[in-house]
Amino acid sequence: MTFRLTCPVCGKRDVYEFTYGGPERGPRPAEADPASGSQAAGGSDPAAGSDPAAAAEAHFRWAQFRMNRPEPQEEWWHHGAGCGVWFSTWRDPATNREAPPGGAEAGGHEASGRDSS
Amino acid sequence: MSPGPLGRLKSALGAGVLRPGRLWEERPLRRHYDVVIIGGGIHGLATAWYLAKDHGVRDIAVLESEYIGFGGSGRNTAIVRANQRTQENVPLYDEGLKLWPILTDELDFNLMFHNCGNLNLAHSEAAVAAFRLSVNTANFCGVRSELVDPQQCKELVPALDVSDRPAHPIQAGMYHPPGGVVRHDAVVWGLARGASQHGASIHQGVEVQAIDTEGGRVTGVRTSAGPIGCRKLGIMAGGYGPAIAAMLDIELPVNPLTIQAMVTQPLKPFLHHVVSSGAYHVYANQTLKGEIATGAHMDPQVNYTTDVTAGYFKHQAEALTDFMPCLKGVRFLRVWAGLADMTPDMAPILDGNFAHEGLYLDVGWGYFGFKSGPVAGKYMAEFMAREEAPEILEPFALRRFLENRYMGETATTMKYGQWD
Repeated sequence: MTFRLTCPVCGKRDVYEFTYGGPERGPRPAEADPASGSQAAGGSDPAAGSDPAAAAEAHFRWAQFRMNRPEPQEEWWHHGAGCGVWFSTWRDPATNREAPPGGAEAGGHEASGRDSS
Repeated sequence: MSPGPLGRLKSALGAGVLRPGRLWEERPLRRHYDVVIIGGGIHGLATAWYLAKDHGVRDIAVLESEYIGFGGSGRNTAIVRANQRTQENVPLYDEGLKLWPILTDELDFNLMFHNCGNLNLAHSEAAVAAFRLSVNTANFCGVRSELVDPQQCKELVPALDVSDRPAHPIQAGMYHPPGGVVRHDAVVWGLARGASQHGASIHQGVEVQAIDTEGGRVTGVRTSAGPIGCRKLGIMAGGYGPAIAAMLDIELPVNPLTIQAMVTQPLKPFLHHVVSSGAYHVYANQTLKGEIATGAHMDPQVNYTTDVTAGYFKHQAEALTDFMPCLKGVRFLRVWAGLADMTPDMAPILDGNFAHEGLYLDVGWGYFGFKSGPVAGKYMAEFMAREEAPEILEPFALRRFLENRYMGETATTMKYGQWD
């Protein structure tokens, strides 16, 4: 079933007014600097270090690998058919509905039905 | 290991209960098996069947949290084909396609393989170029596939509007005669019966809640029916695979998305091939009952529900009637949804012994899980029995996503729906 997302500007709107921007995945890992062999400025991931292969692997993990537990997650949405704002919100993939911020730890994971059909 | 025909008869009369009219035995759930397979769909049942039939591994439990065929195995649109894009994928799907008639014989069960052929439509220069690439790859791998012009499309499917009127006029087609449709429920039932006859036990309504490991090895699962020990564990749960891998804190480049399909009221036979279009995001075939079975809208956000959306009716009606105007006024009867486990390169992950010894993974088939089920089961059975990846599965290891070796299964950008 379709559902409504709460836009911080427009309030609750049909989800088809929004574009999904993927889950919040934390800061982008540092990239190895091929010139100096040292970590690029601003990098914060010690796993990447100066090893280009490790840095690449850290990047691929960050870009594509997900835990995808059926529990609330923070994610990005774009209100493209409305005010145009990008915002982050919480949604539960187990119910495909908005969830209270903080997810399971905050007690937001009430309905755990995997399949509501 | 093999009990032989007499042993099998004894086991059917003894430990198990084969009630009249039942296709497979209901055996008591034991506390340990050599092999436990999570997921009673086509992939899990096929793996169990091939393990028992070809490799003499009969101490197998297939655990299904709902009923067999509840997931993608019973929710797909039953289309089979082998015209994939890459040299790694085509041979696997080609063998999978050739397995249907063989399986029908081996299982002694009518899988209703209808070899009607698939016609894929191109509506842009880019799509025609992509078809050239696909056709050449298929032909290079010995799979029949050809490029056809709009007039030939019209001859294959007279209902098509090949004029300039539609929003996306048809510019070419990719015709793949060896493809078609297979009755998906029959595949589930036939494989369940075959696996059971060869000694595997199938347990419905048993939900896996945790996976136990010790010293780098998988040791068993904890389920809604208590703990079950095992030496080897196969995760073959389709779209639910990522959630099960997460029980072991394994992250995967797999997003389970909800995909929708629907059928119209029954009509006289008029659509004699599977027709699909990337631009309209539609595939359609006429079932033996006369319904037009069609899909497939996919929501972009990770979603474990099988909810359907009203907006999808509108999209599907508009898309179908734009290039097949004779369907105007036809009513939809039913809509449903299932999960598709999407990887970034549209190719599956088939791996084993990578995080824990004894752990095998068959996940990420996206929309291609049905047509690949039996062939995936055949090679995963070989993988699990020999504890070494068969050559044909080597390109599908999880590590490719950490080494930038994506397969590029799609020649053009994927169009999941209205958002892109």
